[in-house]
Amino acid sequence: MSRIGVFICHCGENISRTVDVERVAAQVAKLPGVAFSTDYKYMCSDPGQNLLKKTIQEQKLSHIVVAACSPRMHEKTFRKAVEAAGLNPFLCEMANIREHCSWVHEDKQEATLKAIEIVGMMVERVKKNRVLPTITVPVTKRALIIGGGIAGIQAALDIADCGHEVILVEREPSIGGHMAQLSETFPTLDCSQCIMTPKMVDVINHPKIKLYSYSEIELVEGYIGNFQVTIRRKARSVIEDKCTGCGVCMEKCPVKKIPNKFDCNLGMRPAIYVPFPQAVPNTPVIDRENCIKFKTGKCGLCQKVCGPGAVDYEQEDTLIVEAVGAIVVATGFDLYNITEKPKGSPIKGYGEFGHGKIPDVIDGMTFERLASASGPTGGKILRPSDGKEPKQIVFIQCIGSRAREKGISYCSKVCCMYTAKHTMLYHHKVHDGQAYVFFMDARTPGKSYDEFWRRSIEEEEAVYIRGMVSRLYQKGDKIVVMGSDIAVGVQVEIEADMVVLATAVQPQKGAELLAQKLGISYDKYNFYSEAHAKLRPVECATAGIYLAGACQGPKDIPETVSQASAAAAKVMTLLSKDKLEREPIVARVKESTCVGCFACKKVCAYGAVEEKEIRDRQGNLIKVVAYVNPGVCGGCGTCQATCPSKSVELDGYTDEQIVAMIEAL
Amino acid sequence: MPTKNDLNYSYYPGCSLHASAGEYDLSTRELFKALSIGLTEVPDWFCCGATPAHNVDELLSLSLCAKNLELADQVEGDLAVACAACFSRLKTTQHVLGESDLKRKQVEKALDAPLKLDGKVKHLLEILARDLGLERLAQSVKKPLKGLKVACYYGCLLTRPNDVTNLDCVEAPTIMEDVLKAVGAETVPWTHRMECCGANFTLSRPGVVIQLTGAILESAKEAGADCVMVACPLCHGNLDIRQKEIEGVYNTHYALPVFYITQLVGLAAGLGADKLGLDALIVNPLPLLKEKKLI
Repeated sequence: MSRIGVFICHCGENISRTVDVERVAAQVAKLPGVAFSTDYKYMCSDPGQNLLKKTIQEQKLSHIVVAACSPRMHEKTFRKAVEAAGLNPFLCEMANIREHCSWVHEDKQEATLKAIEIVGMMVERVKKNRVLPTITVPVTKRALIIGGGIAGIQAALDIADCGHEVILVEREPSIGGHMAQLSETFPTLDCSQCIMTPKMVDVINHPKIKLYSYSEIELVEGYIGNFQVTIRRKARSVIEDKCTGCGVCMEKCPVKKIPNKFDCNLGMRPAIYVPFPQAVPNTPVIDRENCIKFKTGKCGLCQKVCGPGAVDYEQEDTLIVEAVGAIVVATGFDLYNITEKPKGSPIKGYGEFGHGKIPDVIDGMTFERLASASGPTGGKILRPSDGKEPKQIVFIQCIGSRAREKGISYCSKVCCMYTAKHTMLYHHKVHDGQAYVFFMDARTPGKSYDEFWRRSIEEEEAVYIRGMVSRLYQKGDKIVVMGSDIAVGVQVEIEADMVVLATAVQPQKGAELLAQKLGISYDKYNFYSEAHAKLRPVECATAGIYLAGACQGPKDIPETVSQASAAAAKVMTLLSKDKLEREPIVARVKESTCVGCFACKKVCAYGAVEEKEIRDRQGNLIKVVAYVNPGVCGGCGTCQATCPSKSVELDGYTDEQIVAMIEAL
Repeated sequence: MPTKNDLNYSYYPGCSLHASAGEYDLSTRELFKALSIGLTEVPDWFCCGATPAHNVDELLSLSLCAKNLELADQVEGDLAVACAACFSRLKTTQHVLGESDLKRKQVEKALDAPLKLDGKVKHLLEILARDLGLERLAQSVKKPLKGLKVACYYGCLLTRPNDVTNLDCVEAPTIMEDVLKAVGAETVPWTHRMECCGANFTLSRPGVVIQLTGAILESAKEAGADCVMVACPLCHGNLDIRQKEIEGVYNTHYALPVFYITQLVGLAAGLGADKLGLDALIVNPLPLLKEKKLI
């Protein structure tokens, strides 16, 4: 015989304003099985929880119903309290009489009757609740980081410094990401490379970090604490262990004029190359598409001049499987390209800016390379078309961003600050030049950010024009910028020598494909989704996978580093345990009735359903049935709804429980 | 009226084509005849309301167009429209009434009839470039416009707003250039093909039009064009009729003939000057066409 305790919460006045809680308590007390019923002002408060614990012991209660807010809010709180009082936590259920009742009704009489019904349903349900043991799974104490930009590097160093092994996978030949491309960083104008490269060296020298550069994620299997990740190491054509990084191969390579992606195609590189001199690892890679040896079979010069014999034309892609317990995704961003107008894409392109065909209209990252001391111009601001110094330069913000009609409605967050920085760098380098900025708003929240922006106007003489640009066109060697100044209400025309577009921050190309491999969700722009926008901002909804940096949304460096350290802290929490405890809300197969059709396997989004052989004592195979791996099961219940023979049920949400609730109505 | 042609359209000339842009009407009819495209004028059509109506009374402007669309529906084929303003108003009406049930009901009440809005409204450009197709258009050429350098001028209304007209890329269209290249002409890349000419401010604020249209002519000349091609009677009026005045104001010399698209394509299809109304153009095109051996 169950002895059910029911606790009705006032939630201050949130519930008691519209629900007569005392009447609910009195009514529910009459239900069969209910041994105790009371109401209290704040059940979730410390005294409220103590009341719950004390009553369980005094009244020898067997099952608990807390009628209060949504279980999403406080189910964990009350189950913990119940457990502390010695009961199995899954013998406690919540009846939601706030979101489902008091908040949405006005009539107290009707709301009270409804609350009585809701609580009554949960009383019937809780009678059918079973004791569920907590599931434990082992933890592999290693972490995988995908992406070797500042986010990935920060997370890798934090986790490795804590003593755990880290596998860092980077798609490009070198780690460093976009931060390695930047000139100086806001709001302090320190040199990006100067603060970035030491961290890159720390990564390669760290005994706990294993770096796979020029590698990609091929396959992800397993679950929290127990992932198996297949990594494709792309053929570098240079053996990393043998190469000393002397650079003779790059000097001798007869192909010299391949646009270097790292320099936004402004500088040139040979066919065997490192993207930039401070690359980590400092091991060249052969660009097989442009290498004469790979195209014609002749040449082979790099192999001849390589002292240690590191060049290997026969090298092939290899697949490596690594076991890890946690994954941090830090794949970063890419900039919107105004030349693109992909078919079928909601993103419309910028025909009014000539679809990117005007050579001296560049994007922010290209300007960073021009301004960088290690860039293709040695830090001089020169036009890509003719190498002249631009005397009139126009910066245009919000290109692609905040333009719903162009397909992207979000704010890219970093452009206001980096454009202000660009005007400063320009002013420092071209003393007789004039910078103009077209902007919608200046969004500068952040420590010392607004002061920085003000400085670009007040001390560095940038002219800010509030308004947008309608058209850019080439006129002789000038670019005519036609815009509006909405503060004054006039049209503005500027003949500029160079135009810099602050184009939108987008996720890396192929971000959605990686998300599908990982089984994590992403938004309509392909930014990865966090589990909760406010309270779980660095976790994915998929357990054991965490997010860091701009792959989750546009972010500047301080924010990226903070998030990376936060993700690392989450990983370290996970790896600090020998065994993981999981909620036992998982599907369970009734093997006696399962016919082995595996309809459940087809619909399972988590890959949790396995095939299990049933054998008799002699070892003869009787049948094959479905088995749900409790470590992998996400508890969604799709299999339960799909199973034609009703042989699989979700613990805590069995048909019996649901039917009992309906019958109570 | 059934015809032997495989392409047949109802035709909404609009007021301008019955008045100041008579040569646009003439050349359209002659060109379509030469291309064996059926064209039946919508019986009893009336003004679309143009710019004044929608500035004064939205219900009036929607009702005028809705009634014209209803009349057009009684003739076989999609509706062919020559004037960019009529095209814009008719398409806008379809769009607005398709999106808003309330406005649709208001218009139905005003017209005292249920609305049918699914008939297709097409600008002549779409008919030439898509329905007939560039390949068939090229096959119909008798006299390729070789050596003629044309600045194609789109104006404001053909492509904007994008989700209403759906004619081509809103800011960087190529449909005019595609048509002209198919008939052998050379098109020049230029900067002001999408800029506003000042439109009907030509009557109330001519100074504005002189400034805006002057910039367009200047840009076409700078790009090395021999002539300008348009698909809108109002643009034509500003670029052609005002040209002499603009030359005076800026003390310059353009002498850029301004053709309607049907005049140039008609020329390539072998039609004579008399059937294209070339004599109605203010900036005399004949010296240019003679120089290029096109007449």
